[in-house]
Amino acid sequence: MATLHLLSHSPFADGRLNSCLRLLGAADGLLLCGDAVYALQPGTAQLQILEQLPASIALYVLEEDLQARALPVPARVQAVDYPAFVELCGRYAKVNSWL
Amino acid sequence: MAKSLLIVSRQAPWAGPAAREALDIALAGGAFDLPIGLLFLDDGVFQLIAGQQPQRIEQKDLGANLQALPLFGIESLYAARHSLAERGLTEEALSLPVQVLDDTGLAALLDQYDQVITL
Amino acid sequence: MKFAIALFSPPHAPASRRALRFAQAVLDGGHEIVRLFFYQDGVHSASASVVTPQDELDSAAEWRAFVSRRQLDGVVCIAAALRRGVLNEEEARRYERDAANLPAPWELSGLGQLHEAAQLADRLVCFGGN
Repeated sequence: MATLHLLSHSPFADGRLNSCLRLLGAADGLLLCGDAVYALQPGTAQLQILEQLPASIALYVLEEDLQARALPVPARVQAVDYPAFVELCGRYAKVNSWL
Repeated sequence: MAKSLLIVSRQAPWAGPAAREALDIALAGGAFDLPIGLLFLDDGVFQLIAGQQPQRIEQKDLGANLQALPLFGIESLYAARHSLAERGLTEEALSLPVQVLDDTGLAALLDQYDQVITL
Repeated sequence: MKFAIALFSPPHAPASRRALRFAQAVLDGGHEIVRLFFYQDGVHSASASVVTPQDELDSAAEWRAFVSRRQLDGVVCIAAALRRGVLNEEEARRYERDAANLPAPWELSGLGQLHEAAQLADRLVCFGGN
């Protein structure tokens, strides 16, 4: 029963990403939106950590939030729009938003 | 069969209404006889310190509501080992009978439930 | 697929707009929304008192229009709403407050509605924080 985790807080200001990474299951997915997309900022430890996650853990980012912040999409991460976001929710057994 | 719900409570007890509102979701679920689990994670573990005096900051006693969980049929209570350790809290000193889980246990716990709300 | 969508953020938080765009995509994708449930500061996203500058997105107004137009079940948690000053006519009268700011299509109800929605839906998706 894999879980899609939704993060929306900046990892620099906040412990949610770290907490999430600790309990991530092997087949779970991570969708970054809002300020959580700053985790993809080049040259950061946060991006390094994400890129080094096992390949079985899928990484997604809400495209609009990346573009708003002028951040690039790393190869490891799939940019999604809202229709794709909805479809992802169906692909995972449940969605866990780190409110 | 009813879907099970895990509530993950991450906020410290007196950081506004969040801790209480997380607990209210749990208690409401219990009142409807739903399978509910409650995990204290990150600052949420601060809710479990015994002997707190909320009346000093003119707050209601959250601890009393926590003690009511079994009365509402909610006995699946958990705390994250790393959250306790980071905050210098020991299992023995906690005010609720919680199962302490390491990271692997937390991942497994999440898997067990049909739905999850992390507040 | 049936979705239950819960919102925990006020209208000026990005999460409120994000939840709305998600909800629109759910329906556009041919799926169903069994209920919208507004809790914690999300109750403000249902407020009719919010005044937004003309050049900004009026998230609360958009939510209201969306729920009306698509005839969705939009529930605001009564306990969370009262403590935050979001009241419908009935509650404003009951508590002798000057202003009611929760018109139709919003309904005030308890957490039981969130639980029922979670039971009915295939997926519960929560939006909040930032």
